[in-house]
Amino acid sequence: MTILEIMERANSRDTKLAIGFIKDAITQIQSSTDIVTKVEKQTLTKGTRDYYLPTDMISLKSISILDTEDDNKYKRIKRITSRPNVVEDTNP
Amino acid sequence: MSYQTNKSFAYYHQGKILELYRITTGIDGVIDTIGGYKVVVPSSSSTSGIAYPDETIVNGIRVEYTALVEPFVVENPESTAYTSLTEVTSPTELSHLNLNRILSLAIVDYLRAMMAEREGNLEQKEYYMRHFHKKVSKNESNKNKIYIAQSSSYAVK
Repeated sequence: MTILEIMERANSRDTKLAIGFIKDAITQIQSSTDIVTKVEKQTLTKGTRDYYLPTDMISLKSISILDTEDDNKYKRIKRITSRPNVVEDTNP
Repeated sequence: MSYQTNKSFAYYHQGKILELYRITTGIDGVIDTIGGYKVVVPSSSSTSGIAYPDETIVNGIRVEYTALVEPFVVENPESTAYTSLTEVTSPTELSHLNLNRILSLAIVDYLRAMMAEREGNLEQKEYYMRHFHKKVSKNESNKNKIYIAQSSSYAVK
């Protein structure tokens, strides 16, 4: 369906505003369901605990770590539910 | 030399930060000889805990997430293969939405709801938002059709 067709059905005349609302709607859909997922890979560094999540992330689906002993397969890891005791490490 | 990473790693998610931990397990105790056998006598109930990652793995972390991926495309996604679609970075009125028909109709409802809100008609906004959520959930439930095959009275047991 084209943007024009959507605008005509919704009786909207402002294209820029309609495109903005369409992006909002897709973001809302992507936050509750997964129409399409994206993958980002980062290097795991020895002794480093903190890593940044992707800036364009709407909702997190899974975190996996590469298993080099099992034919380089990424295996999904579990989430810790309660916050660990060390809140900030000043000497990582 | 990462091994059984699904069991040996865990994460904690705080805002934009992902904290990665290696799960450590072991027995803390002293070796004693009982009945001629050497056994480990635990000094505490458990020493399992978490530690920082103990090795560097290039591209070792895989994050799967939802994002605004190619929302507008040149071709009609209903008649073009997904891999052949070309993304439009500056969409025009003639650009296609990279969604199926039911989700495109949900977008129409969302747009109607936003238009009603701009006009101050909140009742109508809620009405269209209900239709929006209904179509989104319909799209999801369409993927989860369950087919149950029942055995007949002549089935072999």
